[in-house]
Amino acid sequence: MEHKIIDFEQGWEKIQIGITALKRKSECLHVPELLAQHTIDIYTIVYRMCTQKSPNDFSWPLYQKYCETMEEHMNSTVLPALNEKRGDEYMLLRELVERWSNHKTFVKSVSFLFLYLDRFFIVRRSLLSLEEVGLGCFRDLVYNKLQCKIREAVLALVDREREGEDIDRKLMKQVLEFYVEIGEERYEEDFESSMLKDTASYYSCKASSWIQEGSIDDYLLKFEECLKKEKERVTHYLHFSSEPNLVKVVEHEFFFVHENQLLEKTHSEKQISFGSIAKIFKQHVTEEGGEDNKATNDQVASAKEQVLIRKVIELHEKYMVIECFQNHSTLFYKALKRAFERLCSKAVAGSDELLATFCDKIILKRWGSEELSDEDIEKVVTFLAYISDEKYLFAEFYRKKLTLRLLLNRGVSDDHERSILTKLKQQHGGQFTYGENEIGLTVTLLTTGIWPSYKTFGINLPSEMVKCVEVFKEFYEKKTKGRKLTWIHSLGTCHVNGLFDQKPIELIVSTHQAVVLLLFNTRDKLSYNDIQTQLNVGHEDLVWLLHSLSCCKYKILTKEPATETVSRTDVFEFNSKFTARMCRIKIPLRHVDDRKKFIENVDKDRRYAIDAAIVKIMKGRKALGHQQLVSECVGQLSRMFKPDIKAIKIRIDDLITRDYLERDMENPNMFRYLA
Amino acid sequence: MHKLSRTNRDKLQQYVSITGASEKSALQALKASDWQIEAAFDVFYSQPQPKSNDPYSDMILAEGVSVLCSDLQVEPQDIVTLVLSWHMNAATACEFSREEFVGGLQALGVDSIGKLQEKLAFMRSELKDEQKFYDIYSFAFGWAKEKGQKSLALDTAIGMWQLLFAEKEWPLVNHWCDFLQDRHNKAISKDTWAQLLEFARTVNPMLSNYDAEGAWPYLIDEFVEYLYDKSVVDK
Repeated sequence: MEHKIIDFEQGWEKIQIGITALKRKSECLHVPELLAQHTIDIYTIVYRMCTQKSPNDFSWPLYQKYCETMEEHMNSTVLPALNEKRGDEYMLLRELVERWSNHKTFVKSVSFLFLYLDRFFIVRRSLLSLEEVGLGCFRDLVYNKLQCKIREAVLALVDREREGEDIDRKLMKQVLEFYVEIGEERYEEDFESSMLKDTASYYSCKASSWIQEGSIDDYLLKFEECLKKEKERVTHYLHFSSEPNLVKVVEHEFFFVHENQLLEKTHSEKQISFGSIAKIFKQHVTEEGGEDNKATNDQVASAKEQVLIRKVIELHEKYMVIECFQNHSTLFYKALKRAFERLCSKAVAGSDELLATFCDKIILKRWGSEELSDEDIEKVVTFLAYISDEKYLFAEFYRKKLTLRLLLNRGVSDDHERSILTKLKQQHGGQFTYGENEIGLTVTLLTTGIWPSYKTFGINLPSEMVKCVEVFKEFYEKKTKGRKLTWIHSLGTCHVNGLFDQKPIELIVSTHQAVVLLLFNTRDKLSYNDIQTQLNVGHEDLVWLLHSLSCCKYKILTKEPATETVSRTDVFEFNSKFTARMCRIKIPLRHVDDRKKFIENVDKDRRYAIDAAIVKIMKGRKALGHQQLVSECVGQLSRMFKPDIKAIKIRIDDLITRDYLERDMENPNMFRYLA
Repeated sequence: MHKLSRTNRDKLQQYVSITGASEKSALQALKASDWQIEAAFDVFYSQPQPKSNDPYSDMILAEGVSVLCSDLQVEPQDIVTLVLSWHMNAATACEFSREEFVGGLQALGVDSIGKLQEKLAFMRSELKDEQKFYDIYSFAFGWAKEKGQKSLALDTAIGMWQLLFAEKEWPLVNHWCDFLQDRHNKAISKDTWAQLLEFARTVNPMLSNYDAEGAWPYLIDEFVEYLYDKSVVDK
């Protein structure tokens, strides 16, 4: 079917009828809707005008006409209507919100008529889309002209609210949403900066009069109240991004600006102002702590750590005393807390471990001489609050030390251990000490899951030991059903009688060391390889065992060649010339599970926690953006520990591989849950 | 056995030699189609092939593939074999099942080795098409990995990347491969595979539009850090 060519005037006339109808509709709700058929007709006309062959291709003129229509509508209707209301804040803002919402509908419906332009012509020429043009007109022709008026109106209302008036918060919210809608930078540049300035001048005025009138206490109370109100304002109608800036401004006006006045006043009133003192105090504490650190830096590494912890605790104690003669000093507490938090995280790397070791040391030391005082424990426990992030690590370290104390029977008393645990629990919640309480205090059978995992490696036991083990196993299996017995030889101790030439000496060694020594019962000389084949132990572990027997303080075995390290080609011989002053000696075995390995273990535990959190979140949400998933995950886990973003990413990658999640096909920043 | 006329005997022999069927079943088939040999072929080929116990019996395996390559006069490691496998939708590298092979040739409209050879130039040109390259790249992961494995062995992955990025230039490809061997040394997951192309396509080699907060797989984040560390790229 051949269509007649539509010339421009003829076509535009028809389109204009439609636009006028839509305009009227956007002004007033009582006008009937534009009929669907009519809309389609106009769409078709546009379509044909755009697809006719040149010179009858009217795409460009139509686009221009569209722009003109929008501009004209702004200048002839919207702007005058707003100008009329500029005298009254409420009227102006209401009109603005209504006009903006009407305009959005209007743009939508008109651009629908010109949809064909949007799809092809505009894309090809990379022009601004119809919607951008339409909404842009409002911004450029209406908003830009009234910008100042609008801002003044909003700020005036905010000030009125600060003075206690009830204002229309819903309207405020709509206006501020409008700012964000026409461009986030408009909110920041046109509104937020002025709002902050306004806030500053408001409070600078208030603060200087309040500081004259009342006591410092009143002043502080006022400050807290204002801060609360400003935060409330953010939740009710401001954009959430404004909160930190707003808080900063208020704090600044209250404290920095009036710092001298505050100090003078405290002097004259002979009262202590928490706010300013707290700040100075914080600085002081941090500095003093820093000096302590420097001072101890020169000392021997291991001793230094202990000294450091003790010093920090002493420091803490010193300043906790001050707090006694103050009644409600939240600010002060906060300052103290922040100072110590900074100190711990900055100066004392691994403070968690140090603290746990410190606990261990004082517990052991006090046992010998005097009763362990509650105060000591209390100190440690309170102090723990400052190493918030690493609490989890502390718990792990503590658990480890506790179990070692219990297993090695270092004269520990039940009651003391329990009292420490109770204290920890009071301060840090039940979850923290879960497990510790369950550890039986005198039993040497450990329940897996509650006791930390120990490094175990297989070793061929000599027949004497095997016999004993079998007997016990039989007994245990008879007594309890369905339980698995795992031997942790690395924690065992043995007493071995060494028949040396001068005198027999009782050697206290670990099970592993004993096993090595027993080999020399039958032969005096053994090569590294002989030992390895007989014991069936990994290279690393065997080196560790042999080193303790041949290269350390007590050389029970002599080594050829007599070097400080053990290698595969060495030959070992029983050192019959060995002797010692005492007739019973303990041969130490350095603990291999160093900090790095230990943290690895903790990381492993955390991995499961992160996995669980991610799966839980995704199960609820089904689909979620990357950023959001990460932040929710951090939120969920923050009660236990502060997860590393990297760690979360690795877990997400892993869950994708394991088909718990998938990446969205269209949007690589989005993940979906796979049920 | 019945006596058969000379023409029928010829038809029987022809049928047996082409289909590889036994004489008995050939006789049955020919009788059923009233000695119309074309009709008998139709029946034979429309019937599902009897399943053998050996899953590989009806497949072109490594040996067959190398014969095919030499017939086509291409090296087996030529990237065009990947494109060919993609057309055949082959499940695994160096193997074609009958269905894959026949289906692929049909789709290509090819019925002789000569015609297939003529198609090679076209197939090479397909790599220059952005969308097709994307499809071929995505296809390559499943194709190159070991059966039953979820991830792609590192050596294979590196080989495939070097092959693929020779077609579509990405200046960081050698650094990427060095990085993997140096720091990662593990198999490559499907997600990392897919996202790397996305990374190569969207992030410029100076990394100026790289978003550290984005959802890139961890390995890619590490790679970026590696590039900064080695000062391949300035921060």
